[in-house]
Amino acid sequence: MLREDPRNGESAHRSSKKPKLSSKFITESDIRDEFSHHQPRVARINNGSFGSCPGSVLTAQRHWQLQFLCQPDAFYFNTLRHGITASRKIIKDLINADHVEEVSLVDNATTAAAIVLQRIGRSFAEGKFQKNDTVLMLHCAFQAVKKSIQAYVTRAGGSVIEVRLPFPVNSEEEIVFEFKKSIEEGKSNGRKIRLAIIDHITSMPSVVIPVKELVRICRAEGIEQVFVDAAHAIGSVKVDVKEVGADFYVSNLHKWFFCPPSVAFLYCKKSTSSSDVHHPVVSHEYGNGLPIESSWIGTRDYSSQLVVPAVLEFINRFEGGIDGIMKRNHDEVVKMGKMLAESWGTNLGTPPEMSAAMIMVGLPSRLCLNSEEDAVTLRSHLRDRYEVEVPIFHQVSKDGEEEVRDMGRFITGYVRISHQVYNTWKDYEKLRDAINQIVEDGKTCKMLYTE
Amino acid sequence: MCHLITHFLEVESFFFCCSPGSFHRFSFPMASPLHDSPNAAVNGTSAVEAKSRLPKRSRLHADSSPPLFTPSDILSEFSHHDPTVARINNGSFGSCPSSVVSAQHDFQLQWLQQPDDFYFNQLQPKILQSRTIIKDLINADHVDEVSIVDNATTAAAIVLQQMAWGFAEGKFNHGDAAVMLHYAYGAVKKSVEAYVTRAGGCVFEVPLPFPANSVDEIVHEFRQALQRGKQNGRRVRLAVIDHVTSMPTVVIPVKELVTICREEGVDQVFVDAAHGIGCVDVDMKQIGADFYTSNLHKWYFCPPSVAFLYCKRSINNSDLHHPVVSHEYGNGLAIESAWIGTRDYSAQLVVPKALEFINRFEDGIDGIKKRNHESVVEMGKMLVEAWGTHLGCPPEMCSSMVMVGLPAYLGISSDRDALNLRTCLREKFGVEVPIYYRSPKDGEDGVVTGYARISYQVYNKVEDYYKFRDAINQLVHNAFTCASLPNS
Repeated sequence: MLREDPRNGESAHRSSKKPKLSSKFITESDIRDEFSHHQPRVARINNGSFGSCPGSVLTAQRHWQLQFLCQPDAFYFNTLRHGITASRKIIKDLINADHVEEVSLVDNATTAAAIVLQRIGRSFAEGKFQKNDTVLMLHCAFQAVKKSIQAYVTRAGGSVIEVRLPFPVNSEEEIVFEFKKSIEEGKSNGRKIRLAIIDHITSMPSVVIPVKELVRICRAEGIEQVFVDAAHAIGSVKVDVKEVGADFYVSNLHKWFFCPPSVAFLYCKKSTSSSDVHHPVVSHEYGNGLPIESSWIGTRDYSSQLVVPAVLEFINRFEGGIDGIMKRNHDEVVKMGKMLAESWGTNLGTPPEMSAAMIMVGLPSRLCLNSEEDAVTLRSHLRDRYEVEVPIFHQVSKDGEEEVRDMGRFITGYVRISHQVYNTWKDYEKLRDAINQIVEDGKTCKMLYTE
Repeated sequence: MCHLITHFLEVESFFFCCSPGSFHRFSFPMASPLHDSPNAAVNGTSAVEAKSRLPKRSRLHADSSPPLFTPSDILSEFSHHDPTVARINNGSFGSCPSSVVSAQHDFQLQWLQQPDDFYFNQLQPKILQSRTIIKDLINADHVDEVSIVDNATTAAAIVLQQMAWGFAEGKFNHGDAAVMLHYAYGAVKKSVEAYVTRAGGCVFEVPLPFPANSVDEIVHEFRQALQRGKQNGRRVRLAVIDHVTSMPTVVIPVKELVTICREEGVDQVFVDAAHGIGCVDVDMKQIGADFYTSNLHKWYFCPPSVAFLYCKRSINNSDLHHPVVSHEYGNGLAIESAWIGTRDYSAQLVVPKALEFINRFEDGIDGIKKRNHESVVEMGKMLVEAWGTHLGCPPEMCSSMVMVGLPAYLGISSDRDALNLRTCLREKFGVEVPIYYRSPKDGEDGVVTGYARISYQVYNKVEDYYKFRDAINQLVHNAFTCASLPNS
C-alpha cells in the first residue's frame, strides 16, 4: 500500500480515528518539511481561498495517479469505486451523517451549488414551483453561488431575496434579526420560499454564521429546503450535519482539511426529494443515486478523492487531531488579528467567537481604500512588493449606519487573515510591517496603482 | 560533435531494438532523417517506405528541433505502463507519455507553491495558449470557438442542457425531436434522457448494421431516421453523430451526414468525436458541425483529463453554458469553462507539451495516425486469420481501432459474458481488451457474437497481439465457453 513517511519514525500501525497518546506528535520541523513546497518567501495568510496540502498527502495522491496510468482499466474496474467509498465512509463519520448514501464527493462547493440549484430550476420548468416562488440567500454569498442562482433560479422564473447582514458584526443576534426580517419580507406578497441558502462561514467578509439557529428558523417559517454552503467549514469549525439539520450541506476538503485540489463532500439528507438530485455531467451511472453518479462523470483524475484516508493519518499526527488543529488555528488567528489591529489602530470585523481560522482586520483608513479596484490593487501590491498573500475586502459604506472609524475617518478596507498549521508569527509581522510602511510613505491605494 | 554522438546513439538503439523477430516495421515510428535507409532496410523497413517518408510541416522550428524518437525513447516514455499487460485498449482511457506527465507535475507544483499568484497571473494565459493550439489543429476560425472541458461527457451535458432550456422556455415544442445513433456512447444516451426526454423531447435512434459493410448503409439508415424524426410536423432540433463510434467501433462519414442534416432542416448538429483528435482527421470547417467535441487524453497523449468543445460562431450559440456555474457565468463558454471553481487544471495546460511530443514522430500526428491505422488493420487481419473469423468493418471504415470477431465456440451470449471474458483475459492472460456482444439477428445461426476492439498506439508491439491471439486459442483449445465463467 502507501509508503509510510519514515522521517518522523512513526510506527506502521496507526489508528485512523484516535490521536496518538504517546509522545510522538508531529514536530515543527516535520511541519516545515510537509509544507516545504510552499513558496518560502511568501507570507501565506490566505488559506481560505485555495487551501493547502502537505507533502505526505501529495505523495499518496501521486501513488493513485500512477496506478491509473499504469493500468487504467484494472484501476477502473477493481480499485476506483472502493477507494471513493472508503473516503465517503470516513467523511460520513466525521460529519455525523446517518448513512453513507447521504455523502457524495464532488469537485468543490461550486459544483454542489450547481447540483442543488439545477434541481430547483427543473422544478420551475416542470411546473412544480410557481413563477416568483423564492430562493433566499445571504447578500454576501459567494459570487459563484449568486451566479448559479441567476443561471438556474432567476432564469427559470424564480425570485431571490438577499439577506443583508451587518458588517462589522457584533453578535449572533444581529444576524438572526436580519435573517428573520428578510423572511418576513419574502413571505409578504404571498411568495413561497422554496430554498434558503445559508453560508456556514461567509467568504468575504468572513463571519461564522449561527447556522443551526437559522435552519431552525427556516423550519419554523415553513421554508421547504435549506442548503448550507459550508465551503470553509470542515477542518475549521465543528461539522455535525444532524445537529445543523439542513437538507443539503457542502464543504470543501481542500481548504481546511489538507486534501489536494480538489474535493468536496455534498451531504443530502435522505428524503423523498433527495432521489431527484443529479450531477449535471451525466454518465452511464445516471439514475443510480448522486453518490454513484458523482463517482464517475467520465474519464478524469479522481485521485484527490482517494487520499482522504492519508489525510486522516496526517491530521492524527497532531495533538488533539483535527479538534486540536482547529482550536490552535482559531486561538492564533485571533491573537494575530488583535496584534495587527493594535498596530494599525483599527478593529476586528467580528468578535473572536464569530471567527474560526480566519478573521477580518480593519486596514488603516489613510490607505483610502474606496473601491473593489483599490482592494485588488493593494492585494497585488502586497504580493508583488512585500511577498504577502492576503485577500482584501472593500467595505461599502451604507447610509445611516454606524461605522467604524480610526483617527476620524471610516474604515473601508479589511484584510482576511488566516492561520493554518504551517503559519508562523513572522507571516503576520510581515503584513503588519508592509501596511505600516505603505502608510508611513503616505501612499493611498490609488497611488499604488500608478506605481 | 554533439550531432554525431546523437546520431550514433540513435543508430545503436535502432539496432538494439531490431533483434530478429522482436519488432516489425510498423513498431518503429520512423527512421531518423539523420541516417540513411541502409540500416532501415536491414530490419524489414522497406526501402520504399524509408525513401518516401518526407518530413512534412510537422515541426515548430527548423534545424534546432529535437531529434525524432527512437524505439527505446518510446519504451522509456511509456515505462510506467504495466509491462505484464498486453495493452490493446487505448480507446477507453488513452495513454500519456512520461514527458507530458512530468510537465503536468510541474504545473501542479507551481499551483501548490503559490496558488493565488498562479490563479491571478498564470492560469488564464496558459489555458488560452492550449486553446489556441487546438484551434489551429482543428482548423477552427476563432479561438472563441474553442472551449476546454474535462471530457466529451461534459461537452455532451453542455450541448444537451441548452436543448433542455429550449424546451423549458418554449423555444421548442413538446415532442420536437433529437436524433442519435443507436451506437451512441452510453453516457451520451443518458444525457439525452436527462436533458431532452425529461424536458419533453422525442428521441430517435439510427440503427446501424454491424458488421458494417459500407458507408452507404450508414447514410441510408441516417436518412430514414431523419424522416421518422420529422414526421407529423416535428422539428428535428439536434442530431448527435459519433465521428468514431465506441462499441462497436466504426468510422462514421460525418461530413456527409452533416450535409444531409442541413438539407433536411435539422436545427443543430453535435458531433461526438471522443475518439477524434489523433485518430481521424479533424477539420471543423470541412465537417461543418455546430458542435464538435474530442478527448485529448485518448489519442492526443494528454493526461486525464482534457477535451475540447468546438462551438461554431453563430447567434444560436451565445446561450451555451457550463453547468457548473462560477463567477465567470455569462462571459462565454470558453471563459466559463476555464474556471469552474478550485480544481486541478494542470491537464489542460500541457497541450503544448503534448504537441512537442507528437512532433518528435515522423510526420507528427499525421504520421502517427497513418501508422496506427495500418498497424491495427495488419494485426486485425492476423487475428481473424488465426481464429477463422472476420473484421467488423472494411479497413477504410476503421481508424486506430478495429473490431475483430472472436471464435463462435466461446459462446458469448450476453453483455455479461463479454464483460466476464474481458475480466478473464485480464486476470488469467494479462491482456486488456474490451469485448462487444453482438446479439444474433433473426435467422442467424452459429454466427460470431463477440468482437474484441483492438487498438494500436505508438507504444504497442506485435507481441501484444500474439499474446491475445494465443490466449484465445488457448481458451478454445481448453474447450472453454463463457457459460463456464462465474456470474455468467
